[in-house]
Amino acid sequence: MTSSSASARKALSKIACNRLQKELVEWQVNPPAGFKHKVTDNLQRWVIEVTGAPGTLYANETYQLQVDFPEHYPMEAPQVIFLHPAPMHPHIYSNGHICLDILYDSWSPAMTVSSICISILSMLSSSTVKQRPEDNDRYVKNCRNGRSPKETRWWFHDDKV
Amino acid sequence: MGNKLGRRRQVVDEIYTRPQGLYNHKDVDHKKLRKLILESKLAPCYPGDEECIYDLEECPICFLYYPSLNRSRCCTKSICTECFLQMKVPNSTRPTQCPFCKMGNYAVEYRGVKSKEEKGLEQIEEQRVIEAKIRMRQQELQDEEERMQKIQELSSSSGNVAHADVEYSTNAVAASSISVVEGEEIVSSHESCATPMVSPPPAPRANRDEDFDLDLEDIMVMEAIWLSIQENGRQRNLSYPDAPGPYVTDGRHVSSAMGPQTGSSSSPSGGLACAIAALAERQQMGAEPSVSSADGNISSFNMLQGDSRFYNRMDRDSISYPPTDSITDMSPDGSMVMTRGHGQWGMDRGQEMANVATCYANSAAAEDGGRLPSLPQSDDMEGSLENSADPIVPESFEEQMMLAMAVSLAEARAMPSRQAGSWQ
Repeated sequence: MTSSSASARKALSKIACNRLQKELVEWQVNPPAGFKHKVTDNLQRWVIEVTGAPGTLYANETYQLQVDFPEHYPMEAPQVIFLHPAPMHPHIYSNGHICLDILYDSWSPAMTVSSICISILSMLSSSTVKQRPEDNDRYVKNCRNGRSPKETRWWFHDDKV
Repeated sequence: MGNKLGRRRQVVDEIYTRPQGLYNHKDVDHKKLRKLILESKLAPCYPGDEECIYDLEECPICFLYYPSLNRSRCCTKSICTECFLQMKVPNSTRPTQCPFCKMGNYAVEYRGVKSKEEKGLEQIEEQRVIEAKIRMRQQELQDEEERMQKIQELSSSSGNVAHADVEYSTNAVAASSISVVEGEEIVSSHESCATPMVSPPPAPRANRDEDFDLDLEDIMVMEAIWLSIQENGRQRNLSYPDAPGPYVTDGRHVSSAMGPQTGSSSSPSGGLACAIAALAERQQMGAEPSVSSADGNISSFNMLQGDSRFYNRMDRDSISYPPTDSITDMSPDGSMVMTRGHGQWGMDRGQEMANVATCYANSAAAEDGGRLPSLPQSDDMEGSLENSADPIVPESFEEQMMLAMAVSLAEARAMPSRQAGSWQ
């Protein structure tokens, strides 16, 4: 199938598996505010419900994040996308791809699912306008063969939102 | 370099001088690694434990427990040797960044097992962090109280009122869920929305334009309601040509007539109806000064009570993370949501609101009948309106929200004359 699901299908390494189990336990004890992990038996793909923070453009709106972990997590970043419908945001494409540096170039193995979630909520919360990125149509068209956002050469240009 | 101090050269078993297979290491210079470990420059490659049995340190990358770890030079964060080897990408042209603080030229040093002093210091540090967090939250709560008071005093534009309400909700959430466990997350989510929140209610005029830009949808919905109110008002005026007589006694009287329509259980009074009518009239006259004078009146009303009631409800919602339809749960108070406005508000909803508004408007129109400038006796009524303004304090939440909406309407209408381009 697509390259993204192909790479995600490669089983987690032992270390990735161990770490994810611990992250999940920690999440259950202490979930990041505004997020809910949808329980599945699939450690390699998490579906997380995110509720917009009160007082922001996305207050009371709920979206779903899909997090796919590569074999070599956490040395390699997970693939994080919004499931349809993705929130209207200047850095979120209509196919759910998110332009956020920590998901790609700036990923660090010291980050966790929880810290990713907080970053994404922060990105949503600081948005002042509900609109798609300018190049949305072009980008989404280019991704039509199911390309992973991790293969995109992202250009992070806006450090405000 | 704080070298050699806490570090005792100890004999490391040969098998711990090479990776234990945590990762599939490539390009590791085993000879060099062995040398560094034997010289106590890197932590021995002990196999990590899954559980913290006794006095072990957790590597924040593989989440396994070790007797001792390396520390980054830049920020003294711990890392086990095998994870550290993974961090050094040999073929990269870029210098390795510290995975914790992103400082360039990442390097670690090894000081052996943490000494008692080090552990003691860490505990003190943790204690301080916890205390600081508590102080931070107390400060937030206090600030919030002060802000609410200021809002009551200062708010003279409905745009600001709506804005401030939302601020309050954010903080209310944090406040309602005080618990040490959740503290951290709440703080961080709090911070994340600090930007829109922080702006204090500034001079009303300065901020207003901005608000209008942001809440275009609100304005449009309110505009629709406004038109509906107007229309209904006119119709009523026609059917009650000499209305004032029987209806205008006082607010209470009118409210009993509209009670069943609104279905509100909270103490109804006609005050709001009067207020809307008053605003409608002033606004109709189109003179900007009158709008701001209406604003002035509003600011003296006590809006706090109703707001906090609403936000209690909000708290519950946001803690349990309801599905989106939670908005409909709030339908009795739906008018609140109006002031903030959300894209998904369909026509039905708007219509429903318009109907509610119309209920008020009808009674308002019935009560003040001739006050709309289209009718001759409006001038006469002006006086009585001013007189009746004093006791008009909206009591129920619905009324307060309607009042807020009325102010918004007035402003929304006033805007085009000043700033036609900005929201069309």
